[in-house]
This record gives sequence, structure tokens and C-alpha cells, in this order.
Amino acid sequence: MKKVTLLPRVNNDRCKACHTCEKVCPVLAIKVKQRKAVVDADRCRGCANCEQRCPFNAITMTKRDKAFEVGVDVKSVDYKDIIDLCVKAHLHPEQTICYCVGVRAEEVAAAILKGAKTPEEISLETGIRTGCTIECIQPILRLLDAAGYKLEPVEGGWQWYGKTATAWDLSKEVKEKYSSRGFYFEEDRKVLDKIIDGCKKGEDK
Amino acid sequence: MMRHAITPISPKVSQYGVDPSLVKTRAADLPGMTSVYLKELFPDLPDVIFPGENGIEKVKEAAYKALMKVNMSMIKPEHSVNILASHHGFTLLGGWPYAELLKTIKDVIEKRTGCRDIRLRAGVGMRFRETEEYIKRYGLDKYFNGKAVGVAPVDEGIPIKTEIGTLYGLKRVYDADWIVHTHHSDVREVHFHRQVDKALKPFGMSYARIETRSTYHQNLGPRGANFVARALFDSDFVQKKFAFAAFLDVAPNGIVGVDVDNDLYRLNDKVTLIGCKQYGKIMTLFGEIDKCIAVLDFPCPVPYVFSGGVIYANFAGANTDLYDLNKPMPPYTWYTEAFYGKNGKPLLDSIPPINPAIKMCIHNYAWTGYPSAFFAQHIPTLVVGNEQAELFNRDPLNLNYMNYAALVKDLETAMNFAYTAAETKNVIVFDGAMGALNVSEPLAKLLLEKAPGVSRRVDKELLPKWLRQRGVDVSVLKK
Repeated sequence: MKKVTLLPRVNNDRCKACHTCEKVCPVLAIKVKQRKAVVDADRCRGCANCEQRCPFNAITMTKRDKAFEVGVDVKSVDYKDIIDLCVKAHLHPEQTICYCVGVRAEEVAAAILKGAKTPEEISLETGIRTGCTIECIQPILRLLDAAGYKLEPVEGGWQWYGKTATAWDLSKEVKEKYSSRGFYFEEDRKVLDKIIDGCKKGEDK
Repeated sequence: MMRHAITPISPKVSQYGVDPSLVKTRAADLPGMTSVYLKELFPDLPDVIFPGENGIEKVKEAAYKALMKVNMSMIKPEHSVNILASHHGFTLLGGWPYAELLKTIKDVIEKRTGCRDIRLRAGVGMRFRETEEYIKRYGLDKYFNGKAVGVAPVDEGIPIKTEIGTLYGLKRVYDADWIVHTHHSDVREVHFHRQVDKALKPFGMSYARIETRSTYHQNLGPRGANFVARALFDSDFVQKKFAFAAFLDVAPNGIVGVDVDNDLYRLNDKVTLIGCKQYGKIMTLFGEIDKCIAVLDFPCPVPYVFSGGVIYANFAGANTDLYDLNKPMPPYTWYTEAFYGKNGKPLLDSIPPINPAIKMCIHNYAWTGYPSAFFAQHIPTLVVGNEQAELFNRDPLNLNYMNYAALVKDLETAMNFAYTAAETKNVIVFDGAMGALNVSEPLAKLLLEKAPGVSRRVDKELLPKWLRQRGVDVSVLKK
């Protein structure tokens, strides 16, 4: 759940319609129309990527007159389905996957179970990836993949490019080759599995 | 009678921090504060060239000498070169040594190769305009003839085939014939990289896209994470562009010299040794502090403020041995933060608590731009000044920080409250003071008393274990 308090304001005199803001927006809330960037205030989740990457400093973040909250109620879906989806993605449902907004895996799973099919739709509904916009992309892609969705990046955008390797994908050769250099791959995977096993067995506190 | 505390690093003008004029009092200026020089604690720390009598000139001279010896024959006059930098370097000792190294690299490449198309690409953490600010502050835009830019992890990327599948780098980092990796041996985030391949880390972080960084922090585990850096560096794509690496040789007490090498792994072994031996002693000593008040007073985000070369995030984990790879979870790292359940307790009993010795944190001056609510959730925190609190309330990465921290009007009031509530006069200030720790007198006495024992334990017991765990030949200790 996120409280959305900020809104970008575009200085039309400075905007050069370069489209950078469009390409970095995690919820597709800003678009160039008639050679000027235009913000969809209802979609915007206040991450400030557009303001931070505009090459012409044409955007400033302002405080909204009326803040609002976004989030998906995990009680609105069967929690067993949430557990199944999270475990399939090697995530504990209560695991925090967005350190800025504080969104847990269960909320993203609930959003997917309720129909969200892309990272952009998930961010729009939960507020995830609207803080730093960096660190939570892989768990989102893992959950969508586990739900059977085909992962297709936004055409022409830089929002995200693709899912990458996890502790469960590494080959035996890689693990053996680097284990003597301080990479504890197998041991780490066991620790992560142990945490996830806790939710499967109902051992959580 | 103990000496006066030495001058801390000044507040900096930045969009990520309050205006320096609002930092009314520095903790080092409070009554009862003193300095302990790091060499007093650990006499075996190396002699430094900076800070020192000849200032930045010594760094320039060391950089020049080292750069004249490295092989640059692969760079032809008609080629392009990207000198790669990261924001961390500019946070060390005021930032000037790192900026001087970058300038000297440009000069020597021009002189030795005749190449003129030399650019600076400076990567960031989470504050996407941070290196833009440094580029202006240190005059790098002019020095590089307008060819100096900050790059951010949401910028256009390129896929790079690696041993563990496709990872993603930043297009502008690699848009030259050659790259020069400019870094340092300062340990900074031991909780993340665990001093494994630290010299390579920017390839998986400040030179990388969000997908790669998320792989590091969410996909591989707390001790496997930094492998993304090695996977990228070892890729054919990066190897074909890599010319050499230039490192500030940094110890907790200052700049020791400059190392330049075509073999990054040779530098990496040295960085591992420095990180474990020199910084390991300070960190282990910090683990001996039984109770204290920590004051944040440095132009960096909450976890990254420095004291004695150690960042606050690592002090928050000083109740455990962060270098011991047999311990999977540090008290603070993102994998740890992830595994606190909805009831506020860890999902695994073996997850250690945040350093219980930190009875209270006074946030006198620290920046936004890094998710820091976890610290305020776990450590009673007082934030000084309404402007600073408001800055955090407007930061998309910290909308929850002030939900857990209390607001206090000034530093003196905060300290008086902390002395009573925490029932201790031990104070440690994270203010980046060069070559020393700014602390209260009782804590100075404690540190001086404990340091010799810590030094012996690290040399005889811990260091050999740490190096063995990382595959570094322990015989290097005899050289």
C-alpha cells in the first residue's frame, strides 16, 4: 500500500518532447502529446523518475492537494492461492519486496490473482516500484512468470527488459567453479528455501 | 584532558539534503566531544598521502606515476574512451582525491595515446542526479570539455550475455571503444558485498540497469549477490572493452596511494586484503561498544554516513562478524529487511537483531534518496529540524521514515533527551572526520582500551579465516 502525495509539474517552456519521461515512468502516466509532456494525475504514483531523468530539468515534483492511497487487499483473494503463487516464484508471501514503499510479495500476488498482467499494472495498483524504481523489478517478473504470463517489455520503453537468473537457476558448473572464491550459492539457496518452507508448513510466527 | 574534536566534512548543497545553512550545530562541536586518531587505535595502519601537508597534489602525483606504468597500447588516437566512475568515490575524504584521479586519468591517456575522445560516465546509486551534482562541484564538466555525464539505472540499457544468462548494462557506460574502471578500496557496504569481489562491484551496480541490480538484491542470496558483477565483468562484451582499472588505495585513515592495473583481479585481491585487515579491525572494534548514542552528521543518506571509514549501516551490524561468510544474514542488508514478517519479527530465528548497542540515533544531518525506514523502525531515532523531516516526507523512497522517527527542534535538545533515555554518555559521530573518530570522551577511553586486543584477534584469528573463505592466498600476509 502506498500513500501518493506527489505529482510532477511540467514546465512547457523547457520541455523539448524528448520522450525520456515516457520511457522511465513505471506506470505509463506521462506521455508526450503535441510536443509537450502531459501527466495523467490519476495514474501517477509519484516516483519522480520523470523529474530525475528529464535532460532539460523541465519537471518538478509538487505536493498534491489531495493525497490518496493505493493498495490491494490480500483478503480479497484466497490466501492459499497467494501462498501457491509466491512459493512457485520462490518468495515468502510476507517477504518485503519493495523496500521503499514496503510492499510485500503477498500484495503483488493478490494483484496478479485479481487480474494484473504486467509490471506497470502491478505498480499502478499496489504502488510497488514507485520509490527507488530499481530493486523490486525481479520479484515482480518472477511472480508474473510463475502465474504464467508472458513477459513483454513496453515497446520502445526503458521500464524493464527481462527476467534474470535466480539462486534456483544457477548451473552446477557455476556453483562449483566459484565456490572457492567466497560465493556461497548453494548455502544461500538453502537459507532462502528454509524461509519459504516456513510458510508452506505454516510455521510462521 | 582530551583533545578537541577535529573538523568534520562540511554539509553540501544538494537536492537530496537540507540547505547547509540549516545545519546549525555539528555534533563534533558539542561539549565533551573529542577525537581518537585511527593510528592511535591501530598503529599498524599505513601512512597516508591524504590528508597531509601537500594536500591533493600528492594524490595527483601518485596517480600520474601509476598511470605512466600501465599498458595503454590498446588505445589508439582515433578511439573513444569512457572513464567510468561511481558516486561512492566522491563521498571519500571530501571527494577531491577521487575527482583528481579522474582528471589525471584523462590527462595521462591523452598524453600517452594521443586519444582525444575521452568521456566521463559517472554512475549513481538511487539518487539519479547525484553524480551530476559532483560533476559540477568538482569542475569535471569543464575538464572533460562537456563530455561528462551522470548515468542512472533507469537509463537506456543493453543486454549482455554472461555465464548466468543475460544481464543488463547501461548503454552510455559502454558506448566507447574502451572503458577505464575508476574505483577505490574503501569497503563501504560490507553488508551487501561481504568483501567478495568488492573491486568489481560497480559492474553489477552503478554501471548496470535495474534488472541487474535487482538480481543482486533479490535473486541470488546474501552471499552470492555480488556474482552479478563478476559475471558482467567476465563477459566477452565487457572484456573486449576493458582497458585498465585505476583505484584509490584507501585505508580507514586516508588515501595511501593509487593503484593502476590491467588485471582487475590482481587489484581485487589487494582490495580484499585491505578491506579485511584494515577495515576489519575498526569494524571488530565497533562490535566491542556495549551501548552508545549514534549521531548522523554527514552529506550522505542515512546508511552511508561515515565514521572511521565505516558506514552507519555496518555499525548497525557490528554486533555480528560481517566478514564471516559462515553467517548468511547480517543484521542489516536487504535480504534481512525482506525477511521481517508482518508482526515485525524475522521469518527465520537465526536472523540477528540490529546492533542492540545503538540505544538511540540522532539524525542531525543526513540525506534522503535511500530507503531508510528500516533503521528508524529498529533504532529509536530523533530527527533534528522540521525542514529535514519535511524533506524525508517528500522523498518517494522514504515516505514512511518519519512514521517511526521523532522530530526534535535542535541538536542540543536531542542530545539531552538521548543522554537521559539511553542512559549512556558514549557518543559516536558519523561525520566523516578524516583520519579520526569523533566521539565522546568516555567512548574514546573505551575504544583505546579495547583496540590492542581487537588488533591481535583480527591478525591471529579472524583475518586468516576471512581470507581463506574468499580464496585469497593467506601467504600474502607475510609479504
